[in-house]
Amino acid sequence: MSTPGRQRAVFGCVSVAALLAVYTLLSNVNQLFGAEALPGPLARVLRPDLLPPTQDIFKALMSLVTGRLPGAEGHDAHVGDHVGHLLEQQVTLQGALLQSILRVLVGVAVGAPLGILLGFAMGWSRKLDDYVHPVYILLRSIPPLALITYVMLWLGHSEAHLLVPIVYAVSVTVVIPAYHGVRDIAELYVRAARSLGAGGWLLFSRVILPAAGPSVLSALRYSLIIAWMTTVGVEMLMGDNGIGHLIVGGGLWSSRLQVGVDPAVVIVAILGLATAGCLMDAAARIVTDRLTFWVRRRRAW
Amino acid sequence: MVAALRSVRLRRGLLGLLTLAALYGMTAQIASGRLPTTVYMAPHDIEGVELLPTYPSLAEEAVFLVRSGILQSSIAVSAGRVLAGLLLGSAVGITLGIGMGWAARLEYALEPWVVLLRFTPALALLPLYVLWFGLGEPSKVGLIATAVAIITLQGTHLGVRGIPHVYLDAAAAMAAPRLLVLRHVVLPAALPQILASVRISVALAWVTVVVAELIKPTMPSLGYLVALAGAYPRVPTIVVALAAMAALVLVSDGLMLGAYRWGTRWMRTQHG
Repeated sequence: MSTPGRQRAVFGCVSVAALLAVYTLLSNVNQLFGAEALPGPLARVLRPDLLPPTQDIFKALMSLVTGRLPGAEGHDAHVGDHVGHLLEQQVTLQGALLQSILRVLVGVAVGAPLGILLGFAMGWSRKLDDYVHPVYILLRSIPPLALITYVMLWLGHSEAHLLVPIVYAVSVTVVIPAYHGVRDIAELYVRAARSLGAGGWLLFSRVILPAAGPSVLSALRYSLIIAWMTTVGVEMLMGDNGIGHLIVGGGLWSSRLQVGVDPAVVIVAILGLATAGCLMDAAARIVTDRLTFWVRRRRAW
Repeated sequence: MVAALRSVRLRRGLLGLLTLAALYGMTAQIASGRLPTTVYMAPHDIEGVELLPTYPSLAEEAVFLVRSGILQSSIAVSAGRVLAGLLLGSAVGITLGIGMGWAARLEYALEPWVVLLRFTPALALLPLYVLWFGLGEPSKVGLIATAVAIITLQGTHLGVRGIPHVYLDAAAAMAAPRLLVLRHVVLPAALPQILASVRISVALAWVTVVVAELIKPTMPSLGYLVALAGAYPRVPTIVVALAAMAALVLVSDGLMLGAYRWGTRWMRTQHG
């Protein structure tokens, strides 16, 4: 039993180490041997401004975490480049990530109840489902990020304006699992409860919620990732802070993309994004497992 | 009985949509004289903005966009990018997914990278792609393909891993060569999951294209149409473009649903 597990760990570590080594080598070729040593097309690709050397990525990581350039106290040698620009605005990696996570949490906290409520209502009443389902499908088809320009006209350039697409994306995502969770409850359960005189809150809390709970909770976990994606997109487009802003350093609108994005910063941000996303998902999984464990135990009776 | 139920559902669904449409029209008419027409954008106020366009102005705008050919060419260009990204991304994702489900060592080796990419929004790769592939078509299609590949890889991997071992054992007992097993056991059994993941990724591809089209924007594209209309701002154009996008998402989702039904029809015939 432990052999596949160990093999998995070994292969994973070897693969990470190998790619890291190959990348370090490739990205440093230019500095080690000089550009003339390489054949033309290769030299054009292996440039440090395209493939930042590993140590540069590490340096960018350190200066974005600590909030200052290493060894450049006093004189601002690099102000004007991506890292310097960010540091000037006092942006740090953890600060930006925290800001984005906050947006995700607000998006889920506001959007999920809305979506779950709609899903429950649609799953409970066939009549309502008939009327509302086509409208829901129509609304669901609008890409959340495309909404952002229109929302800005209503709300102005504000925090609420950034949050609307996130809330929208989350609530649209959780509707269907909540809907199926309620609709697919064995009718027997509901009838049995009804014939014993249960109704209203009792029926909801003792029959419907435990039965629909697992699918709603897994939907919540999934919606966390959706919110994460939408948040980064929103911040890249119009954010003044957060990790998406850190990546593009000031919004796609100002077309700074064409001026100077430091790939090292982008790679650092991607690593931060993956770590934070992974942690959020792990936390959601632990909470979900706890809750469904309780539900499952009750259902097994 | 079933037909009657269907017609009832159809009627109610239409009624729901029509109610929404009528409510919107009424609200827009009532609001047209009352909503503020001045919007503050970045450095200054902009006047003459129709926040909630009425049906006449929407129709006028739609007619203009269609007459001038902007809408059609935008739809064609954006849909082409989505399609190219979808084909490229799902080819890579499905191949890698099958490989990962098939060969345990490949799975172990790729696992850390899949986890890394899974929690990384594909949009974050945009600046890197611009650096690597330039401002043109490759970085746009590549971004969509990446988003698609991550989703389809996971779906395919799950689908292949979820095949009951009995099937593989039975095939092995009859000394089926690996390629035959792949073609006649693995692929059909994993197909539902694969198609489901492609269906999810289609929706994601449309989200991605909206942002991807903002890099070195060239006019015939839906993403830039929305952005440009937002910069003026011209709300009727935004609404028409959003409606076109929603329609395209709906159509492509319907097509994928059809493909899913077609791909899984053997499951239903089995059950009778």
